[in-house]
Amino acid sequence: MRALVTGASGFLGRAVVQELLRRGHTVRAMIRPAADLGSLPRSASLEIFQGDLRTHPSLREALTGVDTVFHLAAVVAGSYDAQFAGTVVGTERLLAALATSETRRLILASTLSVYDWSAARYDLTEETPIVARLYERDDYAVTKVWQERLVRRAAASSGWSLTVLRPGYIWGPGKEWVAGAGIRIGRWLIVNGPLRWLPLTHVDNCAHCFVSVAEHPAAEGQTFNVVDQDHVRAWRFAGDYLRYSGQEGCRIPVPDSFCLATAWTAFLASRVLLGPRRKLPGLLIPLRYQARFKSLRFPCDKLRRLVGWVPPLPYVECLHRVFNHRSMAQASGGVLTPVRTNG
Amino acid sequence: MDGEPVPCDAPSSINAVLGGRAVRAAVVGVGYIGHHHIAALQALKGVEVAVCDQSPARAESTAERFRLGHCFTDLGQMLSDYRPEVVHVTTPPMSHVPLALAALQAGAHVFVEKPIAPCMEQWRRLRDRAVSCGRWVVEDHNYRFNSPVREVLRRVGTGQFGQVMHVDLLFCSSILAPGSGFADPNMEHPTLHLPGGAIGDFLPHLAYLATLFVGPHLTVRTAWSKHASDSPFPHDEMRALVRAKHGTAALAFSAHSQPDAFWLRVYGTKMTANVNLFESRLTFDRVRAGPRPLTPLLNGLAEARAVRRATVRSLVNKLAGGPGVYGGLWELVRQFYTNLQSGQAPPISLQDIDDANRLVADLTAEENRV
Repeated sequence: MRALVTGASGFLGRAVVQELLRRGHTVRAMIRPAADLGSLPRSASLEIFQGDLRTHPSLREALTGVDTVFHLAAVVAGSYDAQFAGTVVGTERLLAALATSETRRLILASTLSVYDWSAARYDLTEETPIVARLYERDDYAVTKVWQERLVRRAAASSGWSLTVLRPGYIWGPGKEWVAGAGIRIGRWLIVNGPLRWLPLTHVDNCAHCFVSVAEHPAAEGQTFNVVDQDHVRAWRFAGDYLRYSGQEGCRIPVPDSFCLATAWTAFLASRVLLGPRRKLPGLLIPLRYQARFKSLRFPCDKLRRLVGWVPPLPYVECLHRVFNHRSMAQASGGVLTPVRTNG
Repeated sequence: MDGEPVPCDAPSSINAVLGGRAVRAAVVGVGYIGHHHIAALQALKGVEVAVCDQSPARAESTAERFRLGHCFTDLGQMLSDYRPEVVHVTTPPMSHVPLALAALQAGAHVFVEKPIAPCMEQWRRLRDRAVSCGRWVVEDHNYRFNSPVREVLRRVGTGQFGQVMHVDLLFCSSILAPGSGFADPNMEHPTLHLPGGAIGDFLPHLAYLATLFVGPHLTVRTAWSKHASDSPFPHDEMRALVRAKHGTAALAFSAHSQPDAFWLRVYGTKMTANVNLFESRLTFDRVRAGPRPLTPLLNGLAEARAVRRATVRSLVNKLAGGPGVYGGLWELVRQFYTNLQSGQAPPISLQDIDDANRLVADLTAEENRV
């Protein structure tokens, strides 16, 4: 495979580049001009292409000789305008270049945030509808939905095939905490819904999935959720985070129903008192609260059935990779669970 | 567009154009500020809005978000198919003049974001074209229409300030902070091409508010400096002392002073006003009757009450989803359309825009630097 990876210096991008190289593929890593080159591995099979999707005058050059594009570039912070420009307008420009290229395959990194979580009953699967009241969701969800829309439209009228991957919370070294685990207030970790399952995916598992899917013909034209199969509850994750990160803090369990009821109360009261245009913090908007904290299960049956993919790293080894062995050994009194190697 | 004026492709009478039906407005360039223009237009009755943007996704998503019936990606097609009566130009600054000229040529009035033009020559060209077409051209002087500024103006008008002697304006904006679009190391911000660099994007606010209170300027002295050596900006701090027809003004922009704020202080012979335009916090100190030693105490108590009220009001306004810091834009847009429909003069005159742009030009002129 000759792959182009956009967003290659990002959190997931670095891991995908490494996994591609590990499997013997040739990689062109597209990174922004100011990105840190040192974050990428050194390899004869790796070519660096410096450019910004928003502005590069000739994205066609980046696609020359490429058969598969891993489109991971996105802006996930900053104003709506900045996120839209980085995620959607950048994709728009990439798709325009793709239309005149010989690329045969596009793997898009989407997100579970595009789903209508309030519509899901017990399981969040690939069959769950996409969010309907889009502009009531946060900027990240809006821009990722638009990115998917553009890519699907382009795929429908082009000669390349599309696979959309929707990872859950990607975590790993440098990104030890995930937003869905709870609410951090100073040294307190409010774990709302402590028994909730978390849709975690370790960055190395996630990258493994991306490359596996690209290598598998049955994945063409499909959409998959990417979630590790160890069922980790919010309470356990928050505890492991505090235990191994060395941060001082304390978990406080709060029933999920209480938090959601609070959000609904604030939402409805503000509508009466402040009118329909009111602006509330995201946690007090039920639709947004549910998209982050709703208690659901996250089966990955479709990936296993069609591609035969199972995450190579169990949760305990993910913990080892996220928090280094030494700190874990100290925290667990020198007794470590055996580690399984990747592969 | 240069050379002899060309007759505009437009009906001759504004009132005949409107005739009781909805006014057709178009917003060209639908980024951050474009969205605020659309929100301001949607707060009015009898205005139909279309959007136009080079990015099809941006145009379509904006139309979907605001439930608009028309979106375009080509200006020429928008002007010919939709035939707007008013075009709001909210694109990056260097494109304002050519887009506004095209809209005037198509017979539309134009409402242009600040800075309306990168230099006086281009502004004059746009102004002359609007005059020859019989169409309005207005630059967004939004803070002039914020309620605290209107309250200060009202008190100046009723004589409560006595004579206005001086105005202080300080704009603090963390444009160098990580995540700021101005300092994006991967993409040059369009304002970097303005005279004064990124600061040039803020100078119109300082200029129109200064001229509003002390009249057109006579002389200017400026001090520009750069404190962050690794920034893409030629300068990140600016100070200016202005002698004007009716008083003096001290203008400043700071990329380092925090927190972000836009302070306006108006000094009169009887009263002083102090406004943070980002929070709509307005307080007054005034000369009082009675024992002189009590004046600071009474002013202090009045200020404490005003700050408390403004803080609560500001929080409620934010939660209520109102225009917030863009309240002035909403009011200006409202007055623009009201005046247009009733046949009155535009809320900002060509002379106002001329005075502000002349001051901006002198603030950035090399010969005025100390």
